[in-house]
This record gives sequence, structure tokens and C-alpha cells, in this order.
Amino acid sequence: MEEPVIPDSTFMQSQEPDYKPFISPMEARRMGTLVKRALATSTDALRKGGCEMPDAIISGTGLGCVEHTEKFLNALIDNDEECLPPTSFMQSTHNTISSQIALRLKCHGYNSTYSHRGTSFDSALFDAFMQLSLGKIGTALVGAHDEMTPDYFLMLSKLGYWKSNFYMLEQLRKGEEEGSISGSCSLSMLLSAQKQENTLCELKDMSLFYCPGILQSKHAINEILLRNNLSIKNIDAVVMGLSGDLDNDDVYHELKEHIFQDIPVLWYKQLFGESFGASSFGVYVGAECLRAGRIPEHLFFNPKEAETFQKEPKNILVYNHFHDRDHSIVLLTK
Amino acid sequence: MSNIVVTGLGIISALGMGADDTYARLLEGRSGIGKMTYLKSKHTDLPVGEVPFSDEELRENLFIRKDASITRTSLLGAAALREALASASLLPRDKSLKMALISGTTVGGMEKSEQYYYDFLHTREKDEYIALHDCGACTDMIGQANPYGFEMMTTISTACSSAANAIILGANMLKLNRADIVVVGGTECLSKFHLDGFNSLMILDHEPCRPFDKNRNGLNLGEGAAYLVMEREETARQRGIDPLCQLSGYGNRCDAFHQTASSPDGEGAYLSMMEALATAGLQPSDIDYINAHGTGTPNNDESEGHAMMRVFGDAMPPVSSTKSYTGHTTSASGGVEAAICILALIRGFIPANLNFSEKIDSLNFTPVTEVKQGVELNHVLTNSFGFGGNDSSCIFSKIS
Repeated sequence: MEEPVIPDSTFMQSQEPDYKPFISPMEARRMGTLVKRALATSTDALRKGGCEMPDAIISGTGLGCVEHTEKFLNALIDNDEECLPPTSFMQSTHNTISSQIALRLKCHGYNSTYSHRGTSFDSALFDAFMQLSLGKIGTALVGAHDEMTPDYFLMLSKLGYWKSNFYMLEQLRKGEEEGSISGSCSLSMLLSAQKQENTLCELKDMSLFYCPGILQSKHAINEILLRNNLSIKNIDAVVMGLSGDLDNDDVYHELKEHIFQDIPVLWYKQLFGESFGASSFGVYVGAECLRAGRIPEHLFFNPKEAETFQKEPKNILVYNHFHDRDHSIVLLTK
Repeated sequence: MSNIVVTGLGIISALGMGADDTYARLLEGRSGIGKMTYLKSKHTDLPVGEVPFSDEELRENLFIRKDASITRTSLLGAAALREALASASLLPRDKSLKMALISGTTVGGMEKSEQYYYDFLHTREKDEYIALHDCGACTDMIGQANPYGFEMMTTISTACSSAANAIILGANMLKLNRADIVVVGGTECLSKFHLDGFNSLMILDHEPCRPFDKNRNGLNLGEGAAYLVMEREETARQRGIDPLCQLSGYGNRCDAFHQTASSPDGEGAYLSMMEALATAGLQPSDIDYINAHGTGTPNNDESEGHAMMRVFGDAMPPVSSTKSYTGHTTSASGGVEAAICILALIRGFIPANLNFSEKIDSLNFTPVTEVKQGVELNHVLTNSFGFGGNDSSCIFSKIS
């Protein structure tokens, strides 16, 4: 939030932390990178939230453990289906992350994993939100975990996912061509039915929908606002998953033009890159701004909107979409 | 709060296409497990529960063009989806009702990806299949088989409990009025990846599987898809649909014991069954039939058996595992077996547990070995337990 790291390549790797505070070296040696990161961030989130045992553990992962999947697949092909490494197979299934977190905590609560591309995390969050609303659980550990390997990066580049050359921030902002920058993610958040001292904000409401046109998006936004006795005027900022990719960004520009004309737009993929779990950073950014009571300048998509923004944010909308198919709206309030 | 009712279902498995074919085979006592035909694995000695249709035949059945890019997982899912929607009178449908598709899968497009992997990395021949590899892409493709669309979609991937968890998410969405109709279940096709994966864990039987038998030796993999259409009872009545049954309870718990093995006392399984009973407001003695997870592995059947004994004590209801018919359809199993349970409930029969001869020493029950017809069932429990300790249970009941 204070010292944003500026990306310097189209294939960004996460900064690995010192894992010792979270995982013993012996355990770490046997784990893949994605699971290690997930264990580190989830342990951290639980500690910060003062929760020893969440009632639910729900993860979103678009691709699962790609590292292990590739290991097993390559062995299968190279060895013609003989003498294959069981550990790689065991750790390749998407639900490994949620399971490993539960295993370490000996947590027998609700456990699930969503794998639905760009709204994997949003789905996980929605599940937790619904169960909290129904009073089925009191706390939930929700996470977004996705990794990118050189081979998968190559495959996705054939589909036009990435910029061919590294782009400076200003070119990303213009979003005139296809592709964005690749990032990976591991984000864990603790949700609770009770407000606590260290609570960042309230997850007031959210919804998921599919292939809306601009009118249906408007309707979905109004529905959420109405349900929570708010109008568009009460929204202090909208966080969008603008990434520098032309088609992706066009959808957001249309939303800005037709719905959020007077609401400043914040973006975050210029810091975190694009991944199937990236929408979690949108929620993180919104939550952090509400906690801090201010929005750092570098988060404003349009620098002019930063200049005129004086107030303490109280209500932030986070809007995400994947290829204009799966859309999500998250309403965060102070 | 309104009852959650099931108003339609669709199923495709080694027993054939559709509820009627499935029912007929279950009555006949004829398993769908046999020799590998479509999957191009070298391990042809492993019995599998293949859906008895090639990709081409599945495409024709769905009027999909020969040259359209689509994975086998999506083909199976689309077939089951079409039947489910038709049976619930949703083709066409009232577009003012919000409809969600929640599908479980773990293999996704891997059955094609493992064939085209060289092309993925080195040529431009199979680019369109790169986009179809992941789980979400499969669900999207299945959803497109519905000409009247969905308002929301998502994908659950919790291995063998995926479809059961889809049922649970769907139920919660209905309870909170976030959807009016939910289509829930799962799909999985055979792939070398997971066949070889299970083989490397040495839990596949080289003979047809023997759930709950003392000398059982592992599971047989199967493939298939099944979806249930669920809605609040008042929506069904308004639409003029007679519900098949209701989803009266469900539970999801984590065993948290080991990545692939279940705990000896089946803690996760015990907790998920207890939660299902509690949410249904039922006692163990109310359950008339248990469709067990019953994979036929030494570990699962003993662990699940102990968990069932902790719940039901000496009063064990009739138990059978229909994996002896379909094989273990992994991510689809929660849906396939829920569909079988619903058929059992409404048509009044208990499917048999094939290939059983000797009771497991530490368990206090033997499964049902011959199909029982003309039985009155009011409450049926189905278990789906996945790798990673993802244990889920659902209870379907006659409408009260």
C-alpha cells in the first residue's frame, strides 16, 4: 500500500518470504511452492485475526497445483505410463491447498475448493459469505492461490494472455492491445461474523453473474445497492480488474461510462499482475483502503481522480469479470 | 424456510444414458464395469466403468458439430444436463427466474491435454484445447449446452466429493434466495492422468471391485456425469412441477488426517453424516438406505464402515455401494449416486452391492447383495468422500 513494487517483466514471480515462521524446514522440503505459500499466508491471516481454528476453510484456485501436475504429466509421457511418482499426483489435485491447511490445523470444519478461472476466489468468498449469512459458521478462512509455470505461461501466451514485450505503466493504462502481465498469488483472509479490533472492513454483500450485458450489470449493481439501502452516490470508489488487455479493459471502461461516471476507479493488476486469483487483490485493496481511511494515489486509474479525492472512504465496490463471462460484485463498507 | 426440492435429474454412466437405462441395469444386476475401450492407456488390464459411447456418438446425440472443440468431460456433462433440464421442464424456461449451474470436476480437459501436450508446447495445432483444459472452462462449455442460458456458473473441485459439494452450495443459494433454480452435480471422464495416478498409489483393483468385502483389493475407475435440478418448493409449485423428492439435509466436514488416506475411525465421515442428520432434523433410525461411498479400497471401506457404526450403532440400515456398477466416477460420484438414491426413493428399490462374499471382520454389517424391489423408502443417505479428507453427505427424503 505504501511502497508499491513496480513490475519489470511480463512473467512476474512472487517474492518468496522466509517460510520459517510458518513452516518447519523439514515440512517445507516436501511441499510444492503453491502449498507452501498457501500455508504461510493462511497461518499469517489466522494469527493476525486471532483465530486458532476457523469453522470453514475455502479456497479458490484457477489452475490448481500446476507444478505437480506438470511433473506427473511429463513423467507419464516420458515413461509411457510406468513408474510414476505418487507424491506428485497426490499434490496435483486442486483441493490439496484447502486440505493441507486443514491437515496442519487438524480442522474438521467445512472444507471446499473452487476452480472457475477468474472467479475462483469470488466463488470461494461467496460460499463463505452465504454460510456466514445463514449462521452456519462464525469464521471462515478464504484464500486465492494460483501459480504460473514457464510452460503454462507459454501455453497461455498462445491464447493472447500476455503482452509480448514488457510494458511501462502508462502503456498498460492505455490498454490498447491484447495481453497483460502475468503474476501469481497467494492471499488468505479471515472472515468473521463478529467485528473485532483488527477488522479491516465489512463484507456487506456480493453477487456473481454470467454473461450480462451492460444493462444487466447495471441491474445487478442496483440490486446490491438497494438491498443494502445505498445508492450509487454512496459509493466512494470502485475497484476494477483493469489489466492493460484491450478486451478485458473495454468491459470496465463501459461500466465507468454508463454506471460509475462520477465514481473514481481504482486498479491493482498493475501491481499484482494477472492471474486467475487476482480478483482477491481487488478485495484486499478495497479492504485496506477502508481500514486505512485513505486511498493511496498510485491506486487511482486516472491520476486526475486522485487529485480531487479528499474524503475518507466508507463504501467501496469491487467489480471483477473474466473474459466478460463470469462477473462478480463485492460491496465493502467501513 | 421453504423445502429444497428436486424437480429433475439427468445421468450418464457405465450403465448407459439416462435415468431409465440406469434404473433398468440396477434392477438387472448387471455391472457396467469392463474392459477399457475408448481410453488409450497401456494399462488395458485395469477394469473400468466407461460410458459406452465414443466422443463421436456423444457429439451426435447432442447435435454438436464433428469439428467443434470440446472435451469428453464436457460432452458427458452436457448429456446429463440436457436430460436434467428436460425432465424439470426447463427447455424452454421462464427467464425471470434466476438459474445457476454448479458443476464439480477435477480432471477437466486433461483427457485431451494429455494427448495434445506436445502440441500445446511446440506447435500451434491444438491451441483451442489449451483454453479447454481447466475446470472452469469445462463447466462453461457444459452450460452452453443449455440454449436458455444460466444467470450464474461456478465449478467445485474437491476430488470425489465435488458433486456432493455442488449440491450443498446450490442448497445454500436457494435458502438465501440467491437463485431460484440450481442445477447441481458433476462430471468426470477417464484420463490416463488419474488412472495412472491412482495406479501409482496402488489402490486400483485388477478385478471388478468388491466394496465392503473382506478380500477387497481396490477401486475401479469410472466416468460419468449427473445433475439434479433443485428449487424451493414454492417455485416448483408455481411452475406447476411435481417434485421428485426433497433434499432434507447435508453435511461437509474435513477428515484432516492424511492427503489420501482416511482416518481409522472415519472422523470426517462421521461428522459429515451427523451434520446431514442434524440439518435434516432426523435420527439415525429414520434412514432407510445408505448409498455408501464404498470404493472397494481396503482403507475407505473399513474407515467408512467404522464411521457408519459410530452413527448407527447396531441398527445399521441397508447399505450398498453402487460403485460396483458404475466404478468410481470421482468428481461425478456425488451426483451419480445422488441420482441413484433419488431413483431408489421414488421407484421403491434398493440397489445391490455386487461382488460381495465375506464380511469385513471389524464391521457389524454386510451390504445388500441382491436388489430389493417394492420397498418403502422415506429417507436415503448418500456419502461422498474425497482425497484430502473432503467428506460430504446428503439426505434425500420423500416429500412430507
